[in-house]
Amino acid sequence: MKQNKIHYRMVITILAIYIAIIAGTIRSYDKTAPIHPTMQSLINGTWAEQTENYLQEHIGFHDVLFRIKSNTDLFIGEKMVQGVYITDDMLLEKLYSDDIPAPSESAEPVNEFYEDTGIPTYFILVPSASEIYRTKLPANAINAEQKNRIQQIYMETVNGIHCVDAYNILSSLKDNYIYYRTDTRWTCCGAYYVYQSAIQKMGFTPVSFQKYVISHMSTEFRGNLYEKTLYHEVRADVLDRYRNESGAQITSVIAYDANGQAENRGNRLYDTSALTTNNQYQYYLGKPCQKLVIRTNIDNGKKLLVYKDSFADCVIPFLVHHYHEICIINLEQTGMDFTTSADTAGYTHALFLCSMSNWENLIQ
Amino acid sequence: MYLSSFTFIVLILPVMLSAYYLIPVKWKNGFLLCCSILVYGWGNPFRLLYPLACIFYDYGIGLLLERMQKRKRLSVAILAFSALVQIASMTMLRAMVQGRTGFLFPFGIAVYMLQGLGYLIGIYRRRHMASVKFVNVALYVFMFPIVYAGPLITYLEYEEQLSKRPCNIIQLSSGLELFVRGLAEKVILADTFGYIFRELRQTGQMSMLTAWLTTLSFSMYIYFELLGYSEMARGLGKCFGFQFPKNFSHPFFTSSITAFLQSWNITLLLWFQTNFRYFLFSRFEKKWQKYGFLILTWALIGAWYGIEIQFMLWGICMGILLSIEQIAGLDRLFMEENARKKRYVFGLIYTAILQQFSFVLLFADNLTEAGAIWKSMLSFGNGIADQTGFYFFTSYIALLLLGLYVATDLFQNITERISVTPIGQKLAECKPLVHGLLFLFCLASMLYGERMTELWLKI
Repeated sequence: MKQNKIHYRMVITILAIYIAIIAGTIRSYDKTAPIHPTMQSLINGTWAEQTENYLQEHIGFHDVLFRIKSNTDLFIGEKMVQGVYITDDMLLEKLYSDDIPAPSESAEPVNEFYEDTGIPTYFILVPSASEIYRTKLPANAINAEQKNRIQQIYMETVNGIHCVDAYNILSSLKDNYIYYRTDTRWTCCGAYYVYQSAIQKMGFTPVSFQKYVISHMSTEFRGNLYEKTLYHEVRADVLDRYRNESGAQITSVIAYDANGQAENRGNRLYDTSALTTNNQYQYYLGKPCQKLVIRTNIDNGKKLLVYKDSFADCVIPFLVHHYHEICIINLEQTGMDFTTSADTAGYTHALFLCSMSNWENLIQ
Repeated sequence: MYLSSFTFIVLILPVMLSAYYLIPVKWKNGFLLCCSILVYGWGNPFRLLYPLACIFYDYGIGLLLERMQKRKRLSVAILAFSALVQIASMTMLRAMVQGRTGFLFPFGIAVYMLQGLGYLIGIYRRRHMASVKFVNVALYVFMFPIVYAGPLITYLEYEEQLSKRPCNIIQLSSGLELFVRGLAEKVILADTFGYIFRELRQTGQMSMLTAWLTTLSFSMYIYFELLGYSEMARGLGKCFGFQFPKNFSHPFFTSSITAFLQSWNITLLLWFQTNFRYFLFSRFEKKWQKYGFLILTWALIGAWYGIEIQFMLWGICMGILLSIEQIAGLDRLFMEENARKKRYVFGLIYTAILQQFSFVLLFADNLTEAGAIWKSMLSFGNGIADQTGFYFFTSYIALLLLGLYVATDLFQNITERISVTPIGQKLAECKPLVHGLLFLFCLASMLYGERMTELWLKI
C-alpha cells in the first residue's frame, strides 16, 4: 500500500512539473518567432531545429531554470557561463583561439579597399575587454591573446593605411570606466580616447573633453553579456551621452535597409525610445541598418565613409563634429563585401572601426 | 529527434504517454510503431527510408527462412546473404555519414542492424518462429527508445511482452523514475564531460595532467552517454510496459579487464555470445583457436562502435587483454572474494590504467595522435601540468568526483545498508520529490551548454 502511494506521488510530481512548464511555455508564447512550418522546412529539418531552439529560449520559467543551472555551475567551481567569465565586478567574454585567420588574411580587405579606391584609409581594431583586463580573469583561465595579433594585422597593411593603436590607449586607461561591465563593448569614455587619437591622424583637432557635458541616460543598462549569463551580481552599467553644445548640428539622418529602402530619421541621431527596451545600446545609433547617412551643418565639404560593427556606435557622435557627411556601413549586415555596399566616390576619408573578435569572425 | 531534446521531452512525451494509456490494448502496438516513426523521422522524413527498408527486408527474409527450414544449406545461404547485405549497407551508410551532420543520414543504424540480424538468426536456429505480424517485427527492430543505444533484446523475450504486458501506475512511475535518472546521466554528466573533453583536446601539446584529464573525461563522457540513453530507453520501455535488460553495471572500478568488459554494454556482448559464437565457437577445440576467436569477436564489437580503424583496433586490444587474463588466470586472481586486499587493489589500479589507455584509441583521429597522447600520459616531456589542465581540474573536480561516484559501485554497499534502516525508509518516501527536482535540474541543464551528438552519427 505504502509502495503504491510512492508510485502515485512520483507520477503526480512529474505531472505537476509538466503542467507548470507547459503552461509557462504557452503563456510566454512568442508569435513573432519563426516556427511556422513550410513544406521546405519540414522536409530539410530546419523546422525541427527552429522548434527546438525556440523551446530552448522560451520554455516556461526559462529564467528561473537558467539561474538554477548557472548558479550550480558557479557553485561547483566553474567560472564561466555560456562562454562568459564571471568575475566579481565584470563579465568578460572568453576569447577562442581556434580557427583564427592569418594576419595577412585579416588585413587583406582593407588593403584591397585602399588599393581600389585610393581614399586615405584609417584602421582601428579594438581589443576585447577580456584582453585589456586579463588580470581580472579567473586563475588559469584560457583566453586567446589579441594584442600581438592586432599588431601583426597592422604590420600587414600596405603603406598609406593609418592604423590606430587602440590597445595601448585603452590599456593605459585601464582604471577608468572604458568598458561596460555587462556588455562586450566599450563605453563612450573608452571610445572618446581612441577617437581623440584617430581624429588627430585624420588632420583635425579633437574636441576637448572639457567641452562635453556628460549626462547619464540610463543607469540600468545590462548588456549582451548579461543577456547571455543572466548574472545579476555584477552592477548594472551607465549609458552616457556626451553633449557638445558648441559643436555641429545634425541636419539629416537617413537609414537604408538591405533592399536600399530609405527611412528618414529626421535630424536626431539618438534614439531615446531604445532606453525603455531590452536593447538599450541601440540608443546611440537607433535600430541597426545596413547603411546610415548623417549630414551636419559643417560646411567643410568633407565626407567620411565608415565601415563598422556595433563598437563604432558610440564613436559616431564624436565624429559628427568634423564632417559634413558621414556614411556608415554596417559590416555585421553586409559582410566583407565593400564594392556593392556603397559608392565610394567623393569621400575624403575612410575609417574601418571594428572590434578584433568581430573582425576575425567576419573574415571567416 | 534525440530523447534529450526539449521537443521530445516537452512536446512529444506527455502527449505520447497520455495517449498510450488511454487507447485500447489492441491498438497499443500499432500506436508505438507510429510513435517510433514519428520520433525517428522528425524533421527529416527521408531518414526513415533506410530503416523502413530494413524492416521490410527482415520481415520478408524471416518468412522465407521459416519456409526453407528443412533445406538446411539453402537457409544458411539465405542467412549469410542477408547478413552480408545488411552489414555492407550499414558500412556504406556509415562511410557516407562521416563528417556530415544530420540530413538524410539515419542514426542508430548499428543498433537496428543487430536487432534485425538477431531476429533472422533466431529463426534459423529455431529459437522462435518468424512473425506473421508485420507490426511485431517492425517494433522489434525499430522501437524508438532502443534505436539510439540499446539495450539489445532477443526476440524471444520480446515477443511475449508484445502480446501481453502490464500497463499500470507502478510501471509508469518506475519508468519515469528510470527515465529521469537516464536523462540526468545524459544532460548533467555526459554533456559536461563531453564539453570538458572537447576543450581539453584542442590543447596542442598536452602535459601529463591534461592528457589524463582528457582520457578520463572522454571515458566518463562515452560511458554516461551510452548509459544515459540506455537508461532512458529502459525507462520509456517500462512506461510502455516493457521490461528491458540492464546495459551497464558499474564498469569502472573493476579488478580486471574481464570484469570491466563483462559490465560494459552487457547486452551487446550477450548478442555476440548468443548469435555469433553459436556458429563458430562450437567448432573450435584447440586453445589457440578459442583465443583467436575471442579476439575476432572483440574486433567485430569494436567495428560495431564505428567505422574508423581505431575502433576495431580497440576491440582487438580488448580481445588480446582478455585472452592474456584468461590464460594467466588473472581475472580470478584479482577478484575481490578470492584476493587478499593488496592483490585486489593492484588489480583495480592495473585495470584503471589499461582502461584509460585503451579509451585513447576510441577518440584519437589517427594512431599518431593516439601515440602522442600516450606519450604525454607516460612522460613528463610536456610538463606535469599546464594552464588548460589546471583550469579544468580546479573547475570540475567536484563533477569529476560525482561522475566517478556514479560510475563505480564503490559506495553501493553504503547505500544498500542505509536503505534498510528506518532513516533509509523515510528517505525512500522522498523519492518522488528528489526525482522531481532532478527532472527540473535536467531541464535547466538543457538550456545551455554543449549538446554532444557526434557519437550518434557514428553508431
